[in-house]
Amino acid sequence: MDGSLMNKIMNKDLITILFTPLLFLLIIYPIVALLTNLEVPGVRETLMDGLFWDSVKNTLLAALVAASLCVILSIGFGYCHLFMRNSLLYKAANLMNDLPIALPHTVAGLALLLAFGRTNFGFAGPTGLAFTMIAVVLAMFFVSYPLAARAVASGVDQMDLESIAVARTLGDTPTKAFLRIALPALREALFSGFVLSFARSLSEFAAVIMFGGNVPGSTQVLASYVFTKVEEGEVAMAVTASGFCIFLSLILVVLVGQGRRRRA
Amino acid sequence: MLKIANLSKSFGTHKVIKNVSLTVGSEIRVVLGLNGCGKSTMLKIVAGILASDNGKILIDKRDVTALPPEDRHVGYVPQQASLFKHLSVRENIRYCLRNGRGAEADIDQLVEMLKIENVLDKKPEALSGGFQSRVSLARTLASQPHVMLMDEPLSDLDLAIKEKLIPEFRKVLKKLGIPVLYVTHDLSEAQLLGDRFSCMIEGVLSDADSAEKAFGLIRESISDYDLHGPAQHQLRN
Repeated sequence: MDGSLMNKIMNKDLITILFTPLLFLLIIYPIVALLTNLEVPGVRETLMDGLFWDSVKNTLLAALVAASLCVILSIGFGYCHLFMRNSLLYKAANLMNDLPIALPHTVAGLALLLAFGRTNFGFAGPTGLAFTMIAVVLAMFFVSYPLAARAVASGVDQMDLESIAVARTLGDTPTKAFLRIALPALREALFSGFVLSFARSLSEFAAVIMFGGNVPGSTQVLASYVFTKVEEGEVAMAVTASGFCIFLSLILVVLVGQGRRRRA
Repeated sequence: MLKIANLSKSFGTHKVIKNVSLTVGSEIRVVLGLNGCGKSTMLKIVAGILASDNGKILIDKRDVTALPPEDRHVGYVPQQASLFKHLSVRENIRYCLRNGRGAEADIDQLVEMLKIENVLDKKPEALSGGFQSRVSLARTLASQPHVMLMDEPLSDLDLAIKEKLIPEFRKVLKKLGIPVLYVTHDLSEAQLLGDRFSCMIEGVLSDADSAEKAFGLIRESISDYDLHGPAQHQLRN
């Protein structure tokens, strides 16, 4: 390449020149492609479909419960991260935090199926916990929990640890210091953990379909509704449901942005 | 009385505290030392925040070496005030009452002595550095500790504020008559505050007759390596 042309490109900020088309091609273009395929009849048909609204209700409800569970468990992890870093429990918990991220979600779904299915949880029903809303919640929780735990651990890392030390010398046991001093300081991290795990739960498909199934009106969630509609050849309805997913995601993005601004 | 006997601590292979022994009666003992010499680690071990590898710590003849911080009855004032941000100044100072420590009447007296009556309803972030230091000291003293441990609590303040605060702090601490172990790298702070002096050089504690002598020992210990880094050090040797 001509030296002066190269210089011109370098002067024009090479990274921006490379980044901009890739961002448009790989992130923005697919979203635009989906939204430009929205059709009025498809929208009307989907909005009139009771099963669509059932899947919306199932998704929101299960994601809400799963994200709440994630936050509760991540508080426990935060405690271990603060006070028990050399313990075997913490090391095991830390390892298990990373595992669901690396695992294919079909494997996670299968693991849950074997753990809570008919064989071990036959007393809970003919299929154990599998193919129920509890299964949907557990599948969402399993894949989303690492995000909440990481958010809380990062909050603990940014905390003023001397304030915990002072609280201990003022008579607090580790539990009291955690509840009275650490937890209020982790408010923002817990909020981030909740929103991130809620968003992850909304989009979960593989683990949910393996363990919770895809029973329309019962355990079907938005992701599996889209999948079913594509399989049935109802692409316009699948596109509408997908557009609705994007709308939900945008609300979450705004919420996360507001949380960040509040922190700043 | 605080008695430390043969205290040692290593982080990995690095020995930070080397066989330190020290007795502090009802006095203000200032330990002078460079940053990273191990003086803060020593305080954290006495407070129970860090565990020692060897040695014993006795407070009023009670062996507290194996006790957690909440059972030692020590007061710890960290370098940054580290006030509880979600609580008001009043709630910060009264924090120890939640654990059945301190007394209401004493707290009122402390508030008056440290001149923080007018900021009691404020949140810590609304206070200047000087006031944060006063509140931090009041919060610790309110718990009626048997020993005070102070880790350069004034080091982040402007010199003028520091010079005003030190005599006030000294007056309050002397009135309580408890052992105070105060670590700093600042000679003037040591001169204004201390009754007795020690210096810590690379984890080894030595007594000195005065703050100036302690500072002199530290000055002598500074090598070319410390001042100019490894390259200059090699060059000079």
